[in-house]
Amino acid sequence: MTVLFYQQASRARLFKEYKEVQREKSADPDIQLVCDDSNIFKWTALIKGPSETPYEGGVFQLAFVIPEQYPLLPPQVRFLMKIFHPNVHFKTGEICLDILKNAWSPAWTLQSVCRAIIALMAHPEPDSPLNCDSGNLLRSGDTRGYRSMARMYMRLTAIPKKGS
Amino acid sequence: MANSASLPALSSSPNDLRKKKRANRSAKLKQCKLDARRDQWLSQVKNKGSNGESSPPIPSTRPTGPRKLDPPRDNATESLLGLQDSETERRIARKDDRPCSSSISSGCFSCSATEDEEEEDGDSTALDDWEAVADALIADHHHHPEEPKPSITAPVPTPAPPSVALKPPEPRAWRPDDAFRPSSLPNLSKQRSFDVGRGFRNGGHAVVSVSVPSSCPICYEDLDVTDTSFLPCSCGFRLCLFCHKRILEADGRCPGCRKPYGMILDGSPPVFLLSRSCSMNIR
Repeated sequence: MTVLFYQQASRARLFKEYKEVQREKSADPDIQLVCDDSNIFKWTALIKGPSETPYEGGVFQLAFVIPEQYPLLPPQVRFLMKIFHPNVHFKTGEICLDILKNAWSPAWTLQSVCRAIIALMAHPEPDSPLNCDSGNLLRSGDTRGYRSMARMYMRLTAIPKKGS
Repeated sequence: MANSASLPALSSSPNDLRKKKRANRSAKLKQCKLDARRDQWLSQVKNKGSNGESSPPIPSTRPTGPRKLDPPRDNATESLLGLQDSETERRIARKDDRPCSSSISSGCFSCSATEDEEEEDGDSTALDDWEAVADALIADHHHHPEEPKPSITAPVPTPAPPSVALKPPEPRAWRPDDAFRPSSLPNLSKQRSFDVGRGFRNGGHAVVSVSVPSSCPICYEDLDVTDTSFLPCSCGFRLCLFCHKRILEADGRCPGCRKPYGMILDGSPPVFLLSRSCSMNIR
């Protein structure tokens, strides 16, 4: 009974976020949030790689799975594309970000999570790496190595198709 | 006997295969749709960036297009987590940024607050006094009278949603500092818990000066009279009793400052009684 009630609460909140996203579509040109047609607990986001990073020019797809206790629990977010970043698991796309774990606050929204992920892309945290290779490159001071690897994977996976 | 048993199994496996194929196809379709949407969106942004240039989005031309849009965005995302050059500073900033900025806007989502400050060329970031911030914002209104207008004429009912609720036929909302604003209107403003980008300035101004949101930032339901007089945390983050109760049942930390509710509220048991009575009769 209470579970159903909570699910309804999170559904209501997600629906309001959806309306807000529709209303303020142009407010943030770097983020596009799309809700699954049939399930409001599944979202996809397209985010643009921040400028002056190796991810610039790429468009990255994120998958959101939202728990029924949302917004008390954070959404589960992962990259759908391969990305070479110290805090993103290379195979699963899992993201290591404090606000997606213990520092989550119900006042955050899906949109703000996207913004936090863009900020994480611009400022990797090599001391808590999910991708050790990437973290080690940065920690050993090989910024150039990291940047070229990251750019290579960005070009391989996240560049939008030509002619469409 | 064995044959008759194996027959249905054989005949069912092609069915399964077909099902799988169908599932695959629908997944592919979905991916196609997403790709199309992405490309459409990208070309839109690009065209905007390159002044209506209708050429298709070719990656090699990308620096001309989106880069124009990028720098302010980048600043904003940086300020989101209070990111700075030094790593340790960054860590601290990430933790401290939220509480302090959310106390300025009194529970308003800190990200948008910092973003707003960023927009104002840092002149308001230097002010730590609430009143000073409010004054600066008012002064800002006078300096750029054309700034707040778009947000008012836009369908976003930013400045005073309660008044909108009171007088639905009114095509535009009153600004809080508007001389023609009827004094009978309540001096409330909507709490912006969302990204707001443009149009936040008004909301921010109102929140700073009055600090009572009209809707719960957690569930986005309207706050009723009991909710608006309910201040569970010293950081000033307001929320409805229902959400407060749910949070107490979960990790019990204030969404505004992430401090445990109990520690701050040691001396005020009535608040807890209130929340309990709320749980008895679910609204």
